[in-house]
Amino acid sequence: MTERNGKIPKKDDNYTHNINKNNERQIDRRGFMKVVAGAAGVFAVASLPWGGIAAKELMGLADKEYPRQKITDLKDIAVGDSVTFSFPSEHDDALLIRLAEDKFVAYQNACTHLRCPVYWVKDEQEMICPCHHGKFDAETGAPVAGPPRRPLPEIVVEVDGGAVYAVRVRRYEA
Amino acid sequence: MKRSYVGVIGMCAILLLNIIFTQLLVHQFFYQNYDAVLIYTGINIILFPIAILIYKKESRKGGRISG
Ligand code: FES
Repeated sequence: MTERNGKIPKKDDNYTHNINKNNERQIDRRGFMKVVAGAAGVFAVASLPWGGIAAKELMGLADKEYPRQKITDLKDIAVGDSVTFSFPSEHDDALLIRLAEDKFVAYQNACTHLRCPVYWVKDEQEMICPCHHGKFDAETGAPVAGPPRRPLPEIVVEVDGGAVYAVRVRRYEA
Repeated sequence: MKRSYVGVIGMCAILLLNIIFTQLLVHQFFYQNYDAVLIYTGINIILFPIAILIYKKESRKGGRISG
């Protein structure tokens, strides 16, 4: 008896993975059902904040008016050039492009694919996202190539007394 | 033990719908279609009790479930 207890069977003779649990890598029907039911709960809870913000927007609570904000002086932006700024908050990067002598367009430049910053490429007259080569039309902000599907949100700008101002963010037409 | 797969298939359908509506939800949110967002949120929330219902039914029917 004693000698038998002192002996470690060959298959268990190791120090690193000596715990045996039956079927630890298997999932039975109940396990599967449990996991999916739990996932459904996670989905439900994860939907709540989106719904909450949507409800807030619908009730008009989020309709803040932003004070118009100076972007740049007219003399600092040549035709065909662009400047970056932030509007409406300092975390919303945006891009102002001077397309012609008196034609300015501005967009929030977080790519509508995965939010990389979009750049104005003068030679190609297009806004380009470096991450996955998304391209946007400078006139409208509409996506023309690559993964993005949604136009860039446009910022309404105003030229006043030798400077360019950002006024508000245009909503998507429903 | 032979049993019908209705519960499992139903559960898979719930998972599929959850994924679909969550994706729609996020897209419509960024498109600022907030009514659609509310509808999809509602659907995702309703799906949870349905999943629980299916789970309960399945475990009642099965008693002890062998792996
Ligand atoms: S993040 Fe812009 S194309 Fe993917």
